[in-house]
Amino acid sequence: MLQATNLTKKYGEQTALNSLNLTIKEGEIFALLGQNGAGKTTTINCFLGFIEPSSGSASINGVSVAENALATKKDIAYIPETVMLYPNLTGIENLAFFSQLAGFKYSDEQLGGFLSKAGLQNTAHTQRLEGYSKGMRQKVGIAIALAKNAKALLLDEPTSGLDPKAANEFSDILRELAKNGTAVLMATHDIFRAREVANRIGIMKEGNLVSVVDAATISANELEKLYLQTV
Amino acid sequence: MKALLIKNFLRSKGLMTGLLIVFVAGLISLNIGKHFLDKNKEIIEKTAHYQQESIARNIEFHPKEIGLLLYYLRFGLVNEMPNLAGLAIGQRDINPSLQSVTIRNLEEQKYATDLMNPMYQMLGNMDFSFVLIYFFPLIIIALCFNLISEEKEEGTWSLVLSQSQNPLKMLIIKILIRFISVLLVIVLLFVIAKFYLDIPFNEAFLAFILNSVLYISFWFALAWLVASFHKNSSQNALILLLSWVALTIVIPAGINAVTVNLYPVPEAFSTVLESRDGYHNKWDEPKEPTVAKFHEHYPQFDQYKHPEGKDYSWLWYYAMQQMGDDEAANDARSFKEKLKKRNTFSSTAGIFFPSIHAQLNLNLLSSSDMDNYLHFLEKLENFHEQKRLYFYPKIFTEATVSSENWKRFGLESYQEKPSIDWIKMLFPVLIMSALCVIWANFKFRKV
Repeated sequence: MLQATNLTKKYGEQTALNSLNLTIKEGEIFALLGQNGAGKTTTINCFLGFIEPSSGSASINGVSVAENALATKKDIAYIPETVMLYPNLTGIENLAFFSQLAGFKYSDEQLGGFLSKAGLQNTAHTQRLEGYSKGMRQKVGIAIALAKNAKALLLDEPTSGLDPKAANEFSDILRELAKNGTAVLMATHDIFRAREVANRIGIMKEGNLVSVVDAATISANELEKLYLQTV
Repeated sequence: MKALLIKNFLRSKGLMTGLLIVFVAGLISLNIGKHFLDKNKEIIEKTAHYQQESIARNIEFHPKEIGLLLYYLRFGLVNEMPNLAGLAIGQRDINPSLQSVTIRNLEEQKYATDLMNPMYQMLGNMDFSFVLIYFFPLIIIALCFNLISEEKEEGTWSLVLSQSQNPLKMLIIKILIRFISVLLVIVLLFVIAKFYLDIPFNEAFLAFILNSVLYISFWFALAWLVASFHKNSSQNALILLLSWVALTIVIPAGINAVTVNLYPVPEAFSTVLESRDGYHNKWDEPKEPTVAKFHEHYPQFDQYKHPEGKDYSWLWYYAMQQMGDDEAANDARSFKEKLKKRNTFSSTAGIFFPSIHAQLNLNLLSSSDMDNYLHFLEKLENFHEQKRLYFYPKIFTEATVSSENWKRFGLESYQEKPSIDWIKMLFPVLIMSALCVIWANFKFRKV
């Protein structure tokens, strides 16, 4: 579903991403670990079409992002590290707005359903975003992604700012999505959550994907050790 | 999406306050316009009354000599002001809309006007055209300077980009919502003005409205162009505010300076001197040459002669007054021509600057522009001349005062119907706005 082929991004002399080869199948959750500046966000941005690769390609469902960003956009949903929304609109209005941007018209009931599924308490649905905490905004972001019903989900440190319970619920949502065939690419700093929710884990360093491990075959401690050795 | 964007806009307190402020400024300007119209009406009514009263009183004091009587009598000519001038006062607050003249030399009387509060003349009036040309762009800048940059700076843009296949469409709706809201304010002000100032809905009013709407559209087009550069909010604000300063202050002042330098009018001073010398000196000169020059000007009065050896006659007196005008005639003519040239220059230069173009157009439509005043002066010269030609023979034949029906000398009026050249009026701003939009679309497509 998500495929990077020799994906490279250079900013002048500096290589942000070096010849990344990666395939994430339908229903698979792939977690990218790595320090800040290792190339995780660059990878995600290449799939989103926000930046153009210097060479190689990122493709979604077999379609190259750089060549046909409009078509690939339909198939992906994205949750940024910090979900920012319109403070003058309520949670449900924000969700409605972003869904309409993507071409979906949902009833208020359906919208409420997405928000609830994302873990946002019912009382907050009709409150303006002004009063939302970061975690609550993050949940609206999750609902926006759910409502898009995309084939692939790109997450840039989605659980940062979520309390443990919310993060846990989020993991459940990801698992459920994967079960229904969504491919998930998640950049994260959270080693334990990565091991728990992902099928495979990649560790990046200075733009290179250094190692890829199967989550099922490694314990959290071993993963942490591997991570520390790598970076 | 539209409904939610509108909701988002309406719920933004800052923007709503801005619109409210500009609306209130508009209402104040309408009130100023109303006062101006009322005051003008009052002046005319009073003058009409006092002209009759003063004629009657002078007849009482000078019942014998018509020459002496006409030394005092004043006849008024009104430059009729359409109610539309309440929206664009223009030159009407410095140049009188009513001028009363005796049949003595005219040049001196042309510029003898009412006393005015010089403060008003320094600051100008906050009429509707001022609010439109200066305030509305500021509000438009406030509404639009962060059209995209707020999304980027508040962090919503990446989510918009990942969701939307065509984020430009959302931006277009955003700016259209702002455009329509400002348009509603303007339309509302025009509706209020229509009834409050009792403006007839005619071609001039329609052109006035179209000019205003086009001017507003230009500023939106400019804001759209600046948005297309994808700069941050403070840079956008800076670019737009600099444009505002340039278009509404620096360039008009610059063009004014250029005009004054290109067409200096030393005649403004020399006309007065020549006119004064033209008749004052005649007291000390022999009478015959003065009368001879008068006969040269008006051969039809050849038959009336200055009595030989006499020190004084009304023929000589009015001939001497006439010399004041005749000797200043060349300078007066070139003064007028230069004013016309100044006018032509600034209106040509104004084509390239919507602020100037709009101001000139609004004044033209309200008959409060310089051209209108110059035409009125020509009419006044004509009016003055007719009075002279009518009274000269009566004075020279020493007709009795009572033989004249003085009641019929009421106020006369001159009304100019502005000639509307739609293409010249609307095209320049239309083209300027279109260029901004085309350039902006080009920039948007590239990103």
